[in-house]
Amino acid sequence: MNQDEFGFRVRQALNDGAERLDYRTVLRLEQARRQALGRQRRAGPATVRLPALQLATAGAPPIDSGGGAWGWLRGAGLVAPLLALAVGFVAISHWQEELEIQRLAALDFAVLLDEGPLEAYADQGFGVLLQAEQRADR
Amino acid sequence: MATREELSEFLAGVERRAFKQAVFAVRDESHALDIVQDAMMKIAEHYGDRPAAELPLLFTRILQNATHDFFRRSKVRSTWVTLFSALNPDAEPDADPLETLEASGDTRTESTETSYEREQIVAIIEEEVAKLPARQREAFLLRYWEDFDTAEAAAAMGCSEGSVKTHCSRATHALAKALRERGITL
Repeated sequence: MNQDEFGFRVRQALNDGAERLDYRTVLRLEQARRQALGRQRRAGPATVRLPALQLATAGAPPIDSGGGAWGWLRGAGLVAPLLALAVGFVAISHWQEELEIQRLAALDFAVLLDEGPLEAYADQGFGVLLQAEQRADR
Repeated sequence: MATREELSEFLAGVERRAFKQAVFAVRDESHALDIVQDAMMKIAEHYGDRPAAELPLLFTRILQNATHDFFRRSKVRSTWVTLFSALNPDAEPDADPLETLEASGDTRTESTETSYEREQIVAIIEEEVAKLPARQREAFLLRYWEDFDTAEAAAAMGCSEGSVKTHCSRATHALAKALRERGITL
């Protein structure tokens, strides 16, 4: 028997032995394989990630937006603070307007309840008299 | 570039042989599993983007390196164990570390005695393959089990084709002689 023939017969025996591995060993090998596949290195075109606020201009490298739900969330993250700011401005404006209305209403109410005639408030001399009285009280 | 399916198929095809080769080298199934797992992780992590045709040679090299790393770590570990056992007054001064190794060999022999004739023959062949000197075993297994040609085996082993042929020839003669002495004729 020559060397190759002998090698072939040993190979058959070794294959036979490898096929008869016990269940636990086979399972462990499968687990190891799955774990390794989970870490497989992938080669592909390199994408450039830019911060969300940095917009791409003509000639700039393509932006990897992330895509899908994450991309949408990232967009929402940019828009949400601006929206909150606008809503805040409108609310403050409304609040100031309301305060002004209340102040004017209180003034009108005070004028109506006052015993003095309405024309007196339009009289320049009456205003001067009131200021003089206030100064005297102090 | 190897796809996930190609890598999976390759690893599935090679894992049992890789495990057996590691067992032949380290003579311990648990350590052999660790070595194969380590080799699988490395090829997937570092060479997962290589063409599928390159995987067999790469995996062979990685497996060999993982096995050598195991022996290096074992050597360091045994140095520390020897050092600490020398400091331990309860340790037996004449304890022979080879006793454990021989005991595991006995267990294997006992288990084959209760198996079928074919299993016995396979076990004996595996045993004798494991006894071959490391380089001879590597060359023999690469040529006849992994189906590498002489040039591929030489590249995997980092030696000349002439050395591969010499190792193979010596391994064949040693194995044939050992099997004949145990009453097995192939």
